[in-house]
Amino acid sequence: MQRWTLHIAVALWLSVLFGLKLGVRPPMPASVLMIYMTLTTIGILVFVAANEERFQAFLAPLKAVFAGRAPKAAQIAVLAGIPLLAGWGAWLRTAPSLDAPFEPRVVHPEPPTSFSSHGKRIDAATLKNPLRAAQEKNPAELEKLTQQGKTIYYQNCFFCHGDALAGDGHFANAFSPIPANFRDVGTISMLQESFVYWRVATGGPGLPKGATPWLSAMPVWQNFLSEDEIWKAILYIYAGSGSTPRTWDEEGGHEKH
Amino acid sequence: MRNIERLLLTAWLMAASAFAADAPKVKTEAVKATPVAADLDAGKKLYQRWCAQCHGDEGKGDGPAADFVYPRPRNFTLAIFKVRTTPSGQLPTDHDLFNIISKGLPGTSMPAWEKFISETDRWQLAHYVKTFDSLGLFKDEPAKEQVAIDAPPKLTDELIAKGKTLYKEKKCWQCHGPLGRGDGPSAQGMKDEWGFPIRPVNFTKSWRFRGGDRIEDIYRTFTTGFNGTPMPSFVDSIPSADDRWALAAFVKSLARPQKNAQVLKAALVDGEIAADPYAKQWEDAEFADFPLAGQIIQEPRWFKPVHDVITARALYNDKEIAILLEWDDGTNNKGEGKPADQVALQLPTQPIAGEKPYFILGDDKHPVDSWRWNARDGLVRVAAAGSAKQAPRDAGSLVAQVSYRDGQYRVILRRPLQGAAGEIGFEAGKFVPIAFQLWDGDNGEEGMKMSLSTWYSVLPLPATPLSAYLWPFGIGLLALGGEVWLLRRMRRKS
Repeated sequence: MQRWTLHIAVALWLSVLFGLKLGVRPPMPASVLMIYMTLTTIGILVFVAANEERFQAFLAPLKAVFAGRAPKAAQIAVLAGIPLLAGWGAWLRTAPSLDAPFEPRVVHPEPPTSFSSHGKRIDAATLKNPLRAAQEKNPAELEKLTQQGKTIYYQNCFFCHGDALAGDGHFANAFSPIPANFRDVGTISMLQESFVYWRVATGGPGLPKGATPWLSAMPVWQNFLSEDEIWKAILYIYAGSGSTPRTWDEEGGHEKH
Repeated sequence: MRNIERLLLTAWLMAASAFAADAPKVKTEAVKATPVAADLDAGKKLYQRWCAQCHGDEGKGDGPAADFVYPRPRNFTLAIFKVRTTPSGQLPTDHDLFNIISKGLPGTSMPAWEKFISETDRWQLAHYVKTFDSLGLFKDEPAKEQVAIDAPPKLTDELIAKGKTLYKEKKCWQCHGPLGRGDGPSAQGMKDEWGFPIRPVNFTKSWRFRGGDRIEDIYRTFTTGFNGTPMPSFVDSIPSADDRWALAAFVKSLARPQKNAQVLKAALVDGEIAADPYAKQWEDAEFADFPLAGQIIQEPRWFKPVHDVITARALYNDKEIAILLEWDDGTNNKGEGKPADQVALQLPTQPIAGEKPYFILGDDKHPVDSWRWNARDGLVRVAAAGSAKQAPRDAGSLVAQVSYRDGQYRVILRRPLQGAAGEIGFEAGKFVPIAFQLWDGDNGEEGMKMSLSTWYSVLPLPATPLSAYLWPFGIGLLALGGEVWLLRRMRRKS
C-alpha cells in the first residue's frame, strides 16, 4: 500500500478537481475552484509530510525517476510531463479569456429596514403575513386562502417558477440567474415571509446594489397584485412546495423553522 | 396471476379478430397490461393538486392558467390525444397516457412530472384522466393493439437521402416547408380539432417535438398521426415501414441542437464583411443561441409568445462590426392586417460602470440604444430610457441588410467600431452588454407584446498577443532546466 502513496495522492487530487469541475452545477467560477484546489494541494502535502515514513514513500517514485532507476517509459512520461504541464498551466493564465465578466451577486441580500409598497412605507422588521393568523383558529379558512393563492400563482408566477414550484417553468431558461426553486431548502424555507413579501413586492429593481438588481428579471409585483394577493400567493408557494417559513420565536429569542 | 392471463388472452383474441376483419397496414402487437389498478379517489386528489390549474377541474382544458399558455392545455372530454402508440383515430393506451404525464410535452408548458410525482401516482393520474371522457370511449372501445416499433435502422447517408426524396414526393413540405422550418404553403391559418390555431412543427427545433425527438419517436408520429391536429398518419400513403424509417431519419437530420451561450463572439476578418447573410463568410461564422421568454413584466403583458430563441453571429474588421440575427418564422408579415415582424437588439449607450441598464429598454439613469428592423418600415433606431420613454433617433451610420427565405429571417446590422455621440464603442477584447427582442406579427405581437432576453455580452475576439505564447514556453523551459539540474545531482549521487 505504502509504495503507492504518490499515486494515491495524485489520484485523490485529480478526483477532487474533476468532482468540483463536473459535479457542481452551475459551474463554480475559476477563482473559487482555484481556492479549493490550493487548499486540496496543501491538505494532501501536509498529510503526506506529517509522517516521515509516508513522506519518503511519497518521494520514492519521484527519486526513482530522477535517479534513473524507474522504467524508461515512466522516466520519459514524468520528465516530459512536468514541463508540459507547467507550460499548459501558464497558457491557461495568459490565454485571452472569452468568458463573460463575472458579476458577483449576493443571493439573499440584507433586507432594508423599510421599503415602499402600494404607496406606503412598510417596516420590514415587524412585517407579518396577516393571513397566516387564520392558521391556528381556522384551518379551513387558511386552506381557502391558499387555494386562491394557487390561482394567483398559476396566472402570474408559474411561467418562470414552474408548475411544480421547482424554478423550471417554460420561460425559466431565458433568464440568468435562473428563477428561484421553491423546493430547494436554500430558498423560501430559510426565509421569513416578510423577506419573501419584500422580494415579491419590489422585484428585481428593488434589490440593493450588491445583489446586482440589473440581472434579476423578477417583476415589481406591487404593480400587478394587491397586498392581499401577494400574501395569498406567498401562502401557496410555501404550501405548494411543502416548506414552512422561518419564524422568529419572540419569547425564546431564537430562530426556529 | 390467472386474471392477468385471462386478460392477456382476451386482449390477444380481440387483437386477432381485429386483424382478421381489417388487415392492418402496419404491424401491431397487443397492448401491454396496466401495472397499477385504478384508485380514482387518489387520482382525483393528485389531479386537483397538480393538473387542474391548467386542465381544469372537469378536464375541459380550462383551468385558471389555460388562457396564459400556448399551446392551450389539452381538453380531455373528447378523448383525443396526440402522442400515442395506437393507430390513427384510436384511443391511447394507459402506457401512452402514463408516458406523456411522465415525460411531458416538449415545446409546451406541460412539464415532465416524473421529476416530481411517484410512479404509482402517475399511474393514478393516467387512470383519472380517462374519467373525463364524456363519450364513454375508454369503456366501450379501449385500445387493444398498438403499433409495433422495431429497433431503428442505422442512420446512414443513403437512408437520409431516401427520406429526403420521400419528403418531396409525399408533400411533407406543403406544411413543413422545403427546409422543414414549418413554412410550407399550406401552413397558414391551420386550426386544430377545437378551432384553435396550430402551426406545423419546425423540424430544425427538435427540442420542441411534442412526442420526443428520438428517431423512434418521429417514426411513431408518422405511423400513428397526431389525433386532433392536421398531422395525419402516413401508413396509407407510405405503407412501407422502411420508407417511414427513412423519412424519420431525414427529419432527424434536419434538427440542430440548441447552442446557448453567454457571449456572442465576433471573429476578426480581413477585408469587407459580406452584405449577403448567406455568404460563406457568414455561414462559417460561429453561431450562438439566446433563449427568449414572453415579456410579462410590463403592461401589456405577453404570455403567449411564438419565438423561444434567437440565433446570432458576429464579425468585425478594422472599421466596423456586424451582427447577424437569424430566426425562423413561417409567416412573413409585412404589416398588412397584422403587425409586422420585428427584431431588435439593444446596447447600453456608454461603457458599463457597475450597473447595467434595466434589461427591458433601459431606465432613466442608464438609457439604451435599440437597433430594430421591421418588415414594414425597415431599419428603425430608437433611444430608450425605459419602455415609456422611447424616441426615434437618427440611424446615423447604422445599416441593415435583410433576407427572408425558406421560413427564415436573416438580418445583418452593422456599424463602425468607433462610437459616435450616444453610442457605445466596440474594441477588441472588450465585452459589451447586448440583449435581444423579437416580435411575430402573425401572433399579433407588437409594442411590449414580444419575446425578449436578459443581458448577454458581445465580444470582438482579441488577437492573441505573442507574450501569451512566450510565457508558457518560457515556464516550460524553466521546468525542464530544473529537471536537468535535479537529474544530474541525483544521478551523480547514485
